Amino acid sequence: MSQPTDPPGTPPDSAIERELTHDEFDPIGTAVLITLYFLILVGMWLFTYFVEFLGNGPTVVGVIG
Amino acid sequence: MTSYIDQFPEEARLVKAAMVSAFLALAVGATFGLLQVLHRTGMVRVLSSADYYTALTAHGVLLALTFTIFFLVALFTWGITTSLDRNLPSMRFAWGWYGTMVVGALMAVVAIFAGFLTEPPTLLGEELSASVLFTFYAPLQAHPLFYLGLAIFVIGTWIAGYDWFRTYWAWKRDNPDERTPLPAFMALTTMLFWWLSSAGVAIAIVVFLLPWSLGIVDSVNPLLTRTLFWFFGHAVVYFWLMPAYMLWYILLPKLSGGKLFSDPLARVVFVLFLLLSTPTGIHHQYMDPGIAEGFKFIVMVNTMFLLLPSLLTAFTVVASMEHGARQRGGTGKLRWLGKLPWRDPVFTGMALSGLLFAAAGFSGMINAGMNINYLVHNTFWIVGHFHLTVGTAVALTFMAGSYWFIPQVTGKPLWNRTAGLVQVLLWFLGMVFMSNAMHRAGLLGVPRRTAEPQYENFAFEGAIGSVGELDAQVVLGGTLLAISTIIFLVTIVMTMLGDRGEVPDNSYAGTLSGPEHSPAILDNLKLWTAIALVLIVLAYSLPLAAIVQRGGLFGPGIDGITRVLPPIDTIGGLVEWVVGR
Amino acid sequence: MDIHTYEKAWLGAALVLIVFFIATVTYGTVGAGVEMIDDSGGTVDPNNLADHERFGDPGVEQVGENEYEVNVIASAFFFRPGSDQRGFDPIRVPANSTVTFYVTSSDVIHGFSIPGTNVNTMVIPGEVAELTVEFDEPETYGLLCNEYCGFDHHNMEGTVEVVPEDQYDGGDGQ
Repeated sequence: MSQPTDPPGTPPDSAIERELTHDEFDPIGTAVLITLYFLILVGMWLFTYFVEFLGNGPTVVGVIG
Repeated sequence: MTSYIDQFPEEARLVKAAMVSAFLALAVGATFGLLQVLHRTGMVRVLSSADYYTALTAHGVLLALTFTIFFLVALFTWGITTSLDRNLPSMRFAWGWYGTMVVGALMAVVAIFAGFLTEPPTLLGEELSASVLFTFYAPLQAHPLFYLGLAIFVIGTWIAGYDWFRTYWAWKRDNPDERTPLPAFMALTTMLFWWLSSAGVAIAIVVFLLPWSLGIVDSVNPLLTRTLFWFFGHAVVYFWLMPAYMLWYILLPKLSGGKLFSDPLARVVFVLFLLLSTPTGIHHQYMDPGIAEGFKFIVMVNTMFLLLPSLLTAFTVVASMEHGARQRGGTGKLRWLGKLPWRDPVFTGMALSGLLFAAAGFSGMINAGMNINYLVHNTFWIVGHFHLTVGTAVALTFMAGSYWFIPQVTGKPLWNRTAGLVQVLLWFLGMVFMSNAMHRAGLLGVPRRTAEPQYENFAFEGAIGSVGELDAQVVLGGTLLAISTIIFLVTIVMTMLGDRGEVPDNSYAGTLSGPEHSPAILDNLKLWTAIALVLIVLAYSLPLAAIVQRGGLFGPGIDGITRVLPPIDTIGGLVEWVVGR
Repeated sequence: MDIHTYEKAWLGAALVLIVFFIATVTYGTVGAGVEMIDDSGGTVDPNNLADHERFGDPGVEQVGENEYEVNVIASAFFFRPGSDQRGFDPIRVPANSTVTFYVTSSDVIHGFSIPGTNVNTMVIPGEVAELTVEFDEPETYGLLCNEYCGFDHHNMEGTVEVVPEDQYDGGDGQ
């Protein structure tokens, strides 16, 4: 935690415990979060398209015949 | 400790002036926002319903154009000078473009506000008013002063862009072998697509709407001016958004205690926005007659691919925050989230606005889906969507960013950190309530842009919840947002009235994978601009040609206008006029 | 470029997502038969609607066994036909019919939306919006303008009545 006395917007350098380089760092947490986001997007898309939209008839259709 | 005002005292004054202009627009625009939620829901009606539309015009123009773009020019001036470590060539010139923008904005605002008077003054033989909303679709007509003001405002931004480019060219001459620093790269690519796209609205105003409002031409082609508006109208949302992206890429990692995960991908993202921002505008016209389905489908494909840079941004920015959290001892799959500096309003405001932008991503995907627009087009859903994007991702990021920038440009520490924290939390909460209810009301068919969505012939029905419950959420949300705005303005004013003291260094995040890893071709702005132009020609030439062929360059003659010019005569007349000179 | 494996995977997933969205919308067109408003309605001279074969006398017309055409003029601030509260006929069609709306404007840009359904189009002066809808069940719908058209925009509304077939008394002059 940064100290409450730091001015806002100050990088909390004092609290850095270790330096991580690009090769040492695996953003596993980001991967988890973004997978979750992906699943939410697909689920909500399917619901909104097939239930909310196609279930909301009448709909504008191609001219028959 | 070196703050921006120590490094660039002259530029700091300009940045401060532009930010204050933005905040003034925010103060007035947000007041109308509160009046609107109270009016629409029928809770309190201060204005007449006719004046509601004048207020809505002011709300849109002041917040979507004035607030956002004044903040943008402040931020880009900071980004160019800081990252190139170089002054603007001439402060006189810089104050010139700022002044141009102020004059243009004031002209448009005067024209709008005159609409509140029962007897508006007459200017140029016409009553002063401009209750045409932010999109000013012809044949609704505003006073020429409104169109002229908008044009002058846009021209001011063009000159500002030129100012940043010439600063960059001078830097390039001195540093021929260096990679363009990321903030400068972001500002320059954004300006490139702004020039390309705002040419559309400039043509709509200067060639068609202004002469028409002055009575020089008799009519306009409403589909043509509408299409030219949307040529600019979707790119403008990225013009608002790119400064927020810039802050997420270059400040958030630093505030988290880490570094930007990937400089090359950040450049790829901005190049994609340069390429795809403009040839997507017709997706705002999915429900327009007069545009073939094939053109709409092509534009949908472009629009869907425009999701890519935003989806990449989500990963890069979150990974950069995770990097900071892990450097500060964060562990576990998700426990590191607790190590982020949640007490810092600058960080928390930006992180929360990013979270709501992820939600806006979903409704944006729906909006991009061609035929599903039958469900959502011109409903309250759309309003819910853009209050998450421009109203949160952009506005909340700018407000949180101000808690960092105002100390930078004044040398005065932030007045009250807790006030800032409460402010960003209230904005987040208010927007969750308001936009959620707006989205749901839209699915019931409740329209946007109306003073009284209460009808005689029918009522809106939903499977869950009632219109009353949704209205209550909108009012609650709008009230929280109004309180949040007041706290923001008080915090900024108190900071500016305070004494100089210790403020953070003027610096931005380093990178884990730096520019040395990004292919040099990414910095080839001429190449990307050329490709962007080709994509625009491909997306727009056929639809525009069809629209002109159908309705004439200057329209079929509307509302009592007798002279109808076939398009061929018009073009012929233009050619004669040009040749005759 | 030095891109992390996870980020490469996300790039792939994002592209899959984009293609999936485009595929869904394509299914809506090809599979579910949803057609976009397009350029098929043609153009009109908005100043001379009175002389136009469709809009000279707007209203409902039977054109086939179960097929109807409804010609509507949107003006500030009413639909003709449609705005029954303003003294015009409501739009009335029988159930189990295929109805094609032809909508144009005599003045500014309007919207034409039947809330609670997917019937929704812009109405642009000079252009005719053509949209075909199948009404299966009897029901009374509202009709509203969803594009700002002037100071009384919020009062621009109307009714679309889908009546049981045996109660339908023919096109105009209901």
